[in-house]
Amino acid sequence: MTPVQKPDLRVTIGSLELRNPILVASGIIGFGREYERLVDLGKLGGIVTKTVTLRPRAGNPPPRVVETSAGMLNSIGIENPGLAGYLELKVPILRELPCARIVSVEGENVEEFQELVRGVDASGVADAIEVNISCPNVGPHGMRYSTDAGMAREVMSAIRPLTRLPLIAKLTPNVTRIAEIAEACESCGADAISVVNTFVGMAVDSRNRKPILGTVLGGLSGPAIKPLALAKAWEVAQAVDIPLVGMGGIAKPADAIEFLLVGCTAVEIGTAMFADPGLPEACVSGISDYVRSLGERSVDAVLGAMELPAGRGPIRAGKARREAARSARRSGEKK
Amino acid sequence: MNQVDCTVVENRELTKGNFLLTLRVPRLFAKPQPGQFVHLRLSTDGEPLLRRPYSLEGFFEHRGVRAIRIYYSVVGRGSRILAAQPKGQLLDLIGPLGVGFTPAPRRTSLLVAGGRGVAPLLFLSRRLAEKKRPYVFLFGARSKNELYGVREIKKGRLHLATDDGSVGYEGSVLDLLEREWNEHGHTPQTAEIFTCGPHGLLHAIADFAREKGIRCEASLEGPMACAVGACRGCPIPLRPECDQERYPAMCVEGPVYDATVVDWERLP
Repeated sequence: MTPVQKPDLRVTIGSLELRNPILVASGIIGFGREYERLVDLGKLGGIVTKTVTLRPRAGNPPPRVVETSAGMLNSIGIENPGLAGYLELKVPILRELPCARIVSVEGENVEEFQELVRGVDASGVADAIEVNISCPNVGPHGMRYSTDAGMAREVMSAIRPLTRLPLIAKLTPNVTRIAEIAEACESCGADAISVVNTFVGMAVDSRNRKPILGTVLGGLSGPAIKPLALAKAWEVAQAVDIPLVGMGGIAKPADAIEFLLVGCTAVEIGTAMFADPGLPEACVSGISDYVRSLGERSVDAVLGAMELPAGRGPIRAGKARREAARSARRSGEKK
Repeated sequence: MNQVDCTVVENRELTKGNFLLTLRVPRLFAKPQPGQFVHLRLSTDGEPLLRRPYSLEGFFEHRGVRAIRIYYSVVGRGSRILAAQPKGQLLDLIGPLGVGFTPAPRRTSLLVAGGRGVAPLLFLSRRLAEKKRPYVFLFGARSKNELYGVREIKKGRLHLATDDGSVGYEGSVLDLLEREWNEHGHTPQTAEIFTCGPHGLLHAIADFAREKGIRCEASLEGPMACAVGACRGCPIPLRPECDQERYPAMCVEGPVYDATVVDWERLP
């Protein structure tokens, strides 16, 4: 018998090459250290850090989490040590990590985003920056920049000149046309799009007639949102040419594969990891097995490989539009 | 702290809705301190989605075999599933987690338990007895059949209170604490309080302790997602005179915390 060759799982996001498409989502494992006894990060593509804000944030008043049917609402509010704390306390931790380090940042305004991108770039340990313009838990500014294409353009074009690191814009699903926001980010130099952040939700305790979360509203994550998130990822996949990082309710390897099939280049594992710290590694194996079962050698064969019934579905229209745009660019270059 | 598979040795309903679970744990599971907890996975199909934190009632080691005990009540989805786990069942747990009680040497420990909050205090009382340190056990519950573990408490003095007067003093365990304090000449230099129970009771005990200047540690309870300090989902609110720029995480800086600085009004 010939030895079975291990499939090539490497993917690239801008200039960042990942050993495989599996990332841990922001807010799940801090800056990596908290989970060091439970997860072998050397087996994963990378982690996205807890979001860093310019000033330290204490986070929101309790309760901050409540479990719902197949999901979890949170209103944590980006509790983090701020940029200075990140540089002093977290950079040394990140430097030791055996996987890609994508640092998440969130600013209250464009100037703060600029300062954060400069600071993280200069810290020298980030392999990419995830631009969190979609947090539902930090007040009115949290989701503002990803609910309006103009504002998304404003922030992305302001930070693009400040770094050569790949910029990944993380979008909220709480909009009517997420593709418009994604296109705006792409047009301003984003290297990739993360789809999606949490869905705004709430829970009420009928016994005392009070909202359960301290902030009333929170963000819903977990398996409950997977079909919703997948549809958003697919919608964005048809609209932009840059790579997508898919997430939302991934709880088993098959979920991760679905995100790849609709057009994501990588995926992030979130809430389900609290129950199963081994899930990201299981997803790596699951994708590897899947690639092999298709008789393929590389995960590239899976990315965007969903097949639609002939003549149906806007993905063809999207592809056609993309092709048209590409050939228009090419003919423009020739002239 | 490690993620380990453990085996159900016994899962017995002692009184209506109250269970004692004994789990055999591998050697990879470190020796826990009283007040520490484990994070149990109760479902692999996503329902319920999150693990559940359970305080330890005890840790036993005999001829290299290690076991932990959990005393729990059936109150929701997670505990209903736990109650159905048969002998021999494998369970995935992460632990031991958090920080436990820290009794000071040469002081009398006043253990004040409310209801199923007795669990970590029984664990602590055994540890104190091993070290031959003095303690007084004050235990309040709604009625006689909720007074779990009282027969075991031998080394220290035991005082009981029930809401219905079915055993011991009829009323709150807080009254027992005040009486103990006033009648036995304790001072903040000679005694300290360790407590666990409903947060309303802990609030009252914390007020008493702060007023008298007594050191007082309480074991807190609340929902947790990661339980290892990463997600920041289990904040402990601190009193207005304390640092408001920070919420300690119940899972890693607790669940045992200085009761006199907790803002009980803001703790659900």
